Amino acid sequence: MKKLIEFRNIVKAFGSQVVLKGINLDIFENEFVTLLGPSGCGKTTLLRILGGFLSQDSGEVILDGKEISNVPAYQRPINTVFQRYALFPHLDVFDNVAFGLRIKKMSEDLIKPKVERMIALVGLEGFEHRDVSMLSGGQQQRVAIARALVNEPDVLLLDEPLSALDRKLRVEMQQELKRIQQEVGITFIFVTHDQEEALTMSDKIVVMRDGVIQQIGTPLEIYNTPNNRYVANFIGNSNIVDGTMKKDYLVRFDDREYECVDFGFKPNEPVDVIIRPEDIRILPPNQGKINGQVLSVLFKGVHYESIVETRRGASKTVILHVVENRDTFNKEANEKINATDFTVDIEDVKNLTNEDLIARANAQAWIPESEEDISIASVENGLKEESGSYPVTFKTAKGTSITVNVNVVKPIVSEDAKYQIGIQAFDVYKTVDEIRESMAISVDLRTWADAYAWELDTQKEVMIDDVRFDFEPNEIVAGDYPVTFLTEGRTWKVHTTEKQEEDTAVSLDFGPDDIHVMHKEVLS
Amino acid sequence: MKGFRRLAYPYVVWAVAFVVIPMLLVLIYAFTTRGNAVLTFRFTLANFARFFSDKIFLSVLLRSLKIALVTTIVCILLGYPVAYAISRFSPNNQAFCILLVTIPMWINMLVRTYAWRGILLDTELSPELKVYIGMVYNFLPFMILEVYTSLSKMDPNLSVAAADLGCNNRQVFTKVILPLSIPGVLSGITLVFLPAVSSFFIPKLLGGGSFVLIGNLIENYFVTTGDWNFGAAISLIMTIIILISMYFTRKFDYTEEERA
Amino acid sequence: MTEKKSLWTKIAFALAIAFFYLPIVYVVFFSFNSSRSLNNFTGFSLQWYQKMFENRTMMESIYYSTIIAVIATLVSTVIGTVAAIGLSKSSKLVKESITQINNLSMMNPDIVTAIGLMLFYTSLRMEAGFGTLLLAHIIFCIPYVMLSVTPKLKQLDDNIAEAALDLGCTPFQALTKVIIPQIKEAIFSGALVAFTMSFDDFVISYFVTGPGVNNISTYVYSSVKRINPSVNALSTIIVLAITIILIIMNVVPMLKERKKKNEKIA
Repeated sequence: MKKLIEFRNIVKAFGSQVVLKGINLDIFENEFVTLLGPSGCGKTTLLRILGGFLSQDSGEVILDGKEISNVPAYQRPINTVFQRYALFPHLDVFDNVAFGLRIKKMSEDLIKPKVERMIALVGLEGFEHRDVSMLSGGQQQRVAIARALVNEPDVLLLDEPLSALDRKLRVEMQQELKRIQQEVGITFIFVTHDQEEALTMSDKIVVMRDGVIQQIGTPLEIYNTPNNRYVANFIGNSNIVDGTMKKDYLVRFDDREYECVDFGFKPNEPVDVIIRPEDIRILPPNQGKINGQVLSVLFKGVHYESIVETRRGASKTVILHVVENRDTFNKEANEKINATDFTVDIEDVKNLTNEDLIARANAQAWIPESEEDISIASVENGLKEESGSYPVTFKTAKGTSITVNVNVVKPIVSEDAKYQIGIQAFDVYKTVDEIRESMAISVDLRTWADAYAWELDTQKEVMIDDVRFDFEPNEIVAGDYPVTFLTEGRTWKVHTTEKQEEDTAVSLDFGPDDIHVMHKEVLS
Repeated sequence: MKGFRRLAYPYVVWAVAFVVIPMLLVLIYAFTTRGNAVLTFRFTLANFARFFSDKIFLSVLLRSLKIALVTTIVCILLGYPVAYAISRFSPNNQAFCILLVTIPMWINMLVRTYAWRGILLDTELSPELKVYIGMVYNFLPFMILEVYTSLSKMDPNLSVAAADLGCNNRQVFTKVILPLSIPGVLSGITLVFLPAVSSFFIPKLLGGGSFVLIGNLIENYFVTTGDWNFGAAISLIMTIIILISMYFTRKFDYTEEERA
Repeated sequence: MTEKKSLWTKIAFALAIAFFYLPIVYVVFFSFNSSRSLNNFTGFSLQWYQKMFENRTMMESIYYSTIIAVIATLVSTVIGTVAAIGLSKSSKLVKESITQINNLSMMNPDIVTAIGLMLFYTSLRMEAGFGTLLLAHIIFCIPYVMLSVTPKLKQLDDNIAEAALDLGCTPFQALTKVIIPQIKEAIFSGALVAFTMSFDDFVISYFVTGPGVNNISTYVYSSVKRINPSVNALSTIIVLAITIILIIMNVVPMLKERKKKNEKIA
């Protein structure tokens, strides 16, 4: 195959932001190349440099052996299909397609058959004289392709052309594009952030991130042997865990060593280990490599995706103190008042305003008959910045008052040293009514208990994934109840053809060649 | 396509030459002494001192402000209900009604004001009242159009939602429609107050020669007396007053937006 | 309840319309008066029309108003459109500054713009007359054209000019074959606004025009001292012209729409 396009050390910055950091890339004749990456990775910028709509700050663009940086867009043998097609709304389908040829002053006798052939190629016969704004997204897409291809360019650039289509149409157009490319036999350079598009259509995928190429390879190479965690994450639905390469062909993760087929790492090098969901088999307990429990099963069209938990997350259990409603009635003023005890972090005491106290204690006063709210006029606050129990009194203007106990505590952090997760939460005091009236008890409990989890090394927040308790919120009576907050443990996505039962004990199995070990990314 | 930005450069030069420089000339004349101001530059504040020390000038200024203010208020009071009424009609009728309101605006303002002169000729109305009629007549359509635009842009579901949340008809209006149409009223105020302050042919045509507003003063000093420096100073004073009042209107607009 | 509501809205609207049209009807009516009186109808006559056609200054004012409005519209539409296209691709700073200057020009009281231009012309020793009048009209019309064109340009697909270049257009071809055809309605409505602004203008014209050059507005203003019922006839002619133009403008699109619909059915 002949080399058609060469990017040599392309650098481009917008202001202080460098979007391309020295791109080197070769593209061959008749190749379907996909530039893949999230928005802002520089893929569109690279495409626009090739199209001639932007100029690079340094580096060379070579087309067919010639440097083309100084050739204006309208003289390059390159055509583009734009993101939202950029069809000319004042022209109909035929005139849109014929536009480029007419600009070249080709005679109408030649234009007509060429345009008609193109319209047939993209499957729009009979639509020649439709208004382009009346066409569906997919049809507009086809017009844009025909309008570009009719000029017989050496290269067709496609800037996320499928992003505006719905899913079904997108899949259809993917096949269509591939067919057209094979039929016309020219190079297509396709920009997308959709890994599925990249995998189905391309001969070659270029994965980009922050203006740097991460990997260049065939779809199979990229899928099976990603260079790093970033590529692996981007390209598919994977299980990626931290591990250590003990020596060649032996990797350790989740406290066990596994044989693998990878080699060439430093001894004890920290690595990322990836196992594809479809490479894992589910066996009865103790027959595979890791035991676990099926958390959930989703049908994904052709297969089932099961989430199997092989290790529970970090957890913290607190007590939910449920008390009877204690409305206090002040006969003279004809007012009722209510509030509940609560727990507060010793660190937060100095920052508590009266409004905070009213909110935390849920202090409310009202006239019994009309249920009209009365505002709390004053708060007597005996809090100290020491652990202990202190009274706080809420009063209305007419003197109706209620006193609650506020427990000032030091936060008790549970640290899960093995998995480097910290979690904290406080005891909760609530009335029967408050529990019964809660519309989303798990969410409320998390808020009331101020439950929070984080990674010990990075301080990054970790989702509290599960709230476990053993009572029926609608039927709760006064008493103490344990409530446990859990972060997500180690879970594996597994794709199987047969349906798994939720909540059953299973075991996961995979072979040495199902494990792919990658170097840790070096963050630049 | 970046190459097209070159098309803007000639206009940049044009705008500076024909918009910015004339404004600067007004400024220069206002602060200089009589004579050819550009060549014989002599800075002075005398023009302003003369204006502010003379009771007659001040009373003209106050009268102009009063007329403009009252005109604006009357335009709000009359224009809002009409705009609201139009916005309640069916969409087809709305377009037609708006056309009916716009048609007179297509006819020369002078011609329409001249017509009022005939109508009001032998009436016993005071010159001031005649001027009010002329002002309201000329500027009311602006208020109606601005308020109508803001009312018609409003999502009709908002009133439905407000009713759903328990508002009665009056509350739907006071709590939802009125606050949301305030920007329209404010831009209407700008479109009414501004030309009303500076108008000089309405008082001249309808108020008779004795009824002088600040616009007439400027006209006199430029056309009749030929004291351009003083005329420029008066128009600068008027512009500053307009700028201040626009600043407050805008500020009110922003605080409204912030609240929303 | 709704009945009552729709009644008061109709009454409010009807009163407003009566107010707006009263002077127009009045002027048309009295243009046929047989006496000089502006408020006492003594009998039908066409004498004021005849007097109008015989009055050279009056006829000239119609001519000047029209010719100035036509030229100012053409020139300001071209300049304004080109400037708006350039501005749409310009840096934010240039865009903001020009928008501010345009706003200044549109929001400034007419009388201030007028004396500014008058001082400008005098400083350059330009003789007041047709030229100064025309230039002034072009100057104040351009921002209105840009105001109309700019939003439409914003709506265009960001890549539309690039698509044209991609297909082999030179930048000039991209402008004439792709961009302008797509914004032509906005250009047209900008031109329409420019025409009315120019045709209606009094304040600026009054200050910048020279001896012997009057447009309709300045003529009416100058004839206000004497009672001249010919002005009523002139007004009636204007009302008639505007009405015809508006009918054409509103009926033609409606007919087009209907034709389109019929074509679709066929």
